[in-house]
Amino acid sequence: MNENQNILPGFNRRDFIKSGSSLAAAMAMMGGVRLFAQTNAASAAGGKPGIKVKVAVVGLGTWGREIVRTLARLPSAQVVAICDKYPASVRRAAPDAPDAAQLEKFEAVLENKEISAVVIATPTHQHKDLVVAALKAGKHVYCEAPLAHTVDDARAIANAAKAAPQLAFQPGLQLRSDPQRHFLLPFIRSGALGTWVAGRAQWHKKMSWRANSPNPEREKELNWRLDPALSLGLIGELSCHQIDQATWFFNEKPKSVFGLGKTTFWRDGREIPDTVQALIEYSNGVQLSYDATLANSFDADYEMFYGSDSAIMLRESSAWLFKEVDAPLLGWEVYAKKENFYKETGIVLKVGGSKALDQVQQQQVQEPYTNTPLYFALENFLRNSFDIAGAAEDFKATFGDDDPAALKDHLSKVHRQPAADFLEGYQATIAVIKAAEAVRAGERVQIPAELYELT
Amino acid sequence: MKLRTLIAANLMIALAGTVVVQAQTTRLGAKPGSKMRIEGTSNVHDWQVEGKLIGGYLEVGKDFPLEPGAKATPGKIEVKGEAFVPVRSMASIEKDGRSYSTKMDDIMYEKMLATANPKIFYRLSELTLKETAKDKDSPYLFDSKGELVVAGITNQVAMPVSILPLADGKVKISGKTDLKMTDFKIEPPAPKIALGLIKTGDPVTIIFDWMVGPAKSVAAK
Repeated sequence: MNENQNILPGFNRRDFIKSGSSLAAAMAMMGGVRLFAQTNAASAAGGKPGIKVKVAVVGLGTWGREIVRTLARLPSAQVVAICDKYPASVRRAAPDAPDAAQLEKFEAVLENKEISAVVIATPTHQHKDLVVAALKAGKHVYCEAPLAHTVDDARAIANAAKAAPQLAFQPGLQLRSDPQRHFLLPFIRSGALGTWVAGRAQWHKKMSWRANSPNPEREKELNWRLDPALSLGLIGELSCHQIDQATWFFNEKPKSVFGLGKTTFWRDGREIPDTVQALIEYSNGVQLSYDATLANSFDADYEMFYGSDSAIMLRESSAWLFKEVDAPLLGWEVYAKKENFYKETGIVLKVGGSKALDQVQQQQVQEPYTNTPLYFALENFLRNSFDIAGAAEDFKATFGDDDPAALKDHLSKVHRQPAADFLEGYQATIAVIKAAEAVRAGERVQIPAELYELT
Repeated sequence: MKLRTLIAANLMIALAGTVVVQAQTTRLGAKPGSKMRIEGTSNVHDWQVEGKLIGGYLEVGKDFPLEPGAKATPGKIEVKGEAFVPVRSMASIEKDGRSYSTKMDDIMYEKMLATANPKIFYRLSELTLKETAKDKDSPYLFDSKGELVVAGITNQVAMPVSILPLADGKVKISGKTDLKMTDFKIEPPAPKIALGLIKTGDPVTIIFDWMVGPAKSVAAK
């Protein structure tokens, strides 16, 4: 069987943020107030001209190749190496990085002094050794989320990143770099939703998660997601971004998780449930209900945040506000664009999403973001890598290199583009490790506050 | 033999002279704790950029006040010095110190031709003590002359500076001067991202606190 046919069909985190236009049309039919930010001119251009970061992508599965394709569109990226221990994966990625060295050994990436940044997109259980070695070799590191499948590995990664302030480390929590989310955050934090009531998120897609290969050993490797010893299952591999987003918006950490998991459809002997539900309790008492399934695609993926005055729906890179009839008038919503959602009307949450502005700008069309959160996350990673390296270089050129404490202090003040840091990546990973534990046990699991602290 | 003696004597004199000069001058190197700020205007609001890196050195003669309350006589001071600021260490900030805009930073770097001229240089040529310190906590007031190189363009700059010797051996050199961007052939930015509607004013004010101390320094390049 052709290897190309075995690439976990449809498993693509880009599904998280499909094209905005089709979604907008669907939502318009249902009617909601849409919340989305204006396209950032600098971001649309892919960052500052002249910035070029030489980067290697390690792990060239479906998502790794999506990363290579995204980097190919970023002017600030120069993909100089692609690496996977499986030669066919390297070959499949090569057309998107025609000038990159094609490597099968990670050591070759480490030894290449030309490479300043590494993107790790291997299976989760392989992250720790690769990240620690890359940081030790002086490379900036972007590591996909979740960071690890065990607390020890997550802690080792975060501590290695903490010990390397002269390097950028970014967990792949791409929503934390999404301008749409940053546009929403102050709105949410301002209390515009009233008192927090609850959150809800889902990820639905009919797909098997199983890949085939004529080589049994390779097949076992490919199906690491179905191995309970290596995988956190749906709640870890898929929900990490959505649960972290709730953590970010609530500005609280999960304190307990109740989970259930069943194999309802893909009864092929797998031990990882194809359908999971979880109830995540935050330290402010608010609960996020989450469900994911590989057995049905209806309604895909989205997140809802409910307050006593309003609710917000986030789908891909758009958002809508739904007000309660007794909610106080915010003022601006009078002029905001509105879209119908079945029996509800949603207010578009968007910079420039005002009818009054349209009159001024003669109906100038504002398209939602066409770039994905992954694009913005990688763009910010490259810019941060560039700026941190530059700041360290300037500091050493100014004061010498015999005062690491002063250098660390200086680097801590360098302005960074929005991105999750090592602690946020660690904490998001802890949350889903415990959620996976709850799903496995089918019961409530407490998450002690001290577990979120790095030791 | 006579020639050898003569050469040896000359060498000794030369060496002695060097020792005398070295004994009379103190070299101060850049220390963390510096700050340089540029303040400007626009037709929308005032703006400011700030950086924390000022490198270089200062070689001062015996009359330079190195300790709080040290005696000093008004007049010209034997001094030689160079300072530099990495352009990309400067960043736009809000009035409260929070970062303002990476886009504005990039515009600034572009206007200052940072790729070709990654550092702002200042070469001190003259320092004249005008007023000694009133007490141990007060600065000495000087007039300074030197040349400032921004975006590869050199201009002579004269400005008052205050010099405050600190108890830990460091010296804080502070100054403020008004300049024009166009004097350095920098066209005041009118960012395209705002449809060119925002126009910055030509005059800017440079404010700095440069910390130096008796330690090894990194030479300006």
